[in-house]
This record gives sequence, C-alpha cells and structure tokens, in this order.
Amino acid sequence: MNCKLCSALFQEFLEKSLCEEVITELETHMKTCKKCRVMLRTYTLTITLSQKVDPPCCVSTDKIDRLKKILLERFFTKQSAQEPSVR
Amino acid sequence: MSKKREIQSDAELVGEIKHGSSRAMEEVVRRYSNKVYNLAYHLTRDSAAAEEIMQDVFLTVIAKVGTLTNEAYFSTWLYRVTTNAAYGFLRKEKKFSDQTPVDDIDQEVQTSYDWSDLPDDVLLSEESKEVLRKSIDTLPEAMRTVVIMKDMEGLKNEEIAEALSISVPAVKSRLHRGRLILRELLSGYFSRKYTDSSGEDE
Ligand SMILES: [Zn+2]
Repeated sequence: MNCKLCSALFQEFLEKSLCEEVITELETHMKTCKKCRVMLRTYTLTITLSQKVDPPCCVSTDKIDRLKKILLERFFTKQSAQEPSVR
Repeated sequence: MSKKREIQSDAELVGEIKHGSSRAMEEVVRRYSNKVYNLAYHLTRDSAAAEEIMQDVFLTVIAKVGTLTNEAYFSTWLYRVTTNAAYGFLRKEKKFSDQTPVDDIDQEVQTSYDWSDLPDDVLLSEESKEVLRKSIDTLPEAMRTVVIMKDMEGLKNEEIAEALSISVPAVKSRLHRGRLILRELLSGYFSRKYTDSSGEDE
C-alpha cells in the first residue's frame, strides 16, 4: 500500500465497504504513515463540517400552507380539465 | 380490516395522486417540502429562489406524475426535478460555474497540517463555516452538486446517481475529488491562521 492508494480508499473505508484484507493493509500503512493519518482525520472532519455548515432548515408553515393552496387549486383545475363532468 | 393510516410508501402515495387524491398530494408535500427546499437552497444559496423552485417542483409533480412509470423512484425523480430547476436558476443568474474539473489533485503536494485537533469552537466558528461555504461554491458544478447532495443533504449515492443520471462510481469519484479539494482548502486556511506566529492575539 502506498500513500496514493491509501487516500484513494478513504471514501470506501468510511462507508465500510472495503473487505477485511484491504482494511488491514490500510491500517498497517497508516500506523507508519503520519501523512495519511492526518489526511484521513482531516478528510473525515471535512465531511463533518460540510454537514454542519448550513444545517437543513424548515420551511415556515405559512409558506407550506400557501404552497398547498396553490397546489390544490392546480390539482382541481387539472382534474376538471381531464373529466369535463365534475360531480 | 386493515388500518388505512399506516405510513404509506411513496409508491402508494404516487398511485393515489394519479387517481386524483389531494390528501396524498398534501402528504407528499408534508414529506418532501423541506427536503426539496433545502436542496434548492443549498444549490442556489438564495431563499427566494428556493421557495420558487419548491413551488415549481410540486407543480411539476401534479403536471407530470402521470408520466412516472416506476413509482418507487418518486423521491429521486423529485430530486432530479429540483436539481434541474436549481441549475435553471443558476444559469439564468449566470452563476453557473463551468470551470474545468480539477482532475489532477496531486496527493504529494497535499497540505499535511493537522487541524483535526483544533477545538470545536475554532472548527465550527462562523469564520471557518464561511470559508467552507465559499470553498464549496468554488468547486466545479458537477462536484459541487454531488457534495451538497451527499454531505449536506445526506442523500444516498444511488439516489444522487439516479437524480443526476450518472453512474454510482461517477458519483463516488466526484464526491471524493470534491472532498479532497475542500480538505485542501480548509487545510490551507487553518494552517495560515493557526501556524502563523505573527498572529494578532497576543
Ligand atoms: Zn501514506
């Protein structure tokens, strides 16, 4: 295992989709390679930060209500257009 | 007698919308409005645009749900419509970046400054968040979208692949390269800020 291959496997490593053998190789390499250890730690932290940089927000209820109103109007317009004889 | 109010699958709801159920439509709005809004907001960084896109997306659902052949793919279809609408907005606003992808990040020159030990209040400061936000914005569009969908919105690789009409390996490769670039930019920022002894706070 070299540094280039090691860092190329970070994603799979974090997604736990590597087989035991490769994981062992990766960990053995990182034990002796500080650069890759730092790379993995900061790579992982980059993901964590991305998750926190703009936490998902909620749309306000009045916006949702307005949306629903528009949708329902469109919904019934479409239906009455499809079936001319509306009950 | 089966209980009707069990949690319905997307496929069931879509089926009902096709048959004209406004209740199913409302349930879909309840289930997906925040997701659609957040994705649109993160792609455009514009709350008014995100709101408009959210409305357009659900109007598209009403108009085109009949053409959806595999109802199980409803959510990925929704994400695709959202992404396309966001692209449309960015293109109109000329904010669409068509930079050439940064393919060749040389691992050898990657910054090895270890900023993982920095305290949380530094890592999560408004300033470093702003640095990351701006860094994400500098990514080539194809990478930026994938990073936003995966790391900010928490979508699965398969969902992203489906929504962007690309393969799962392509998603992974864009994601990995995007993350490497972001890591590099953050490393540069943190090392400039915290290894420079000419700091102002004595
Ligand atoms: Zn190494």
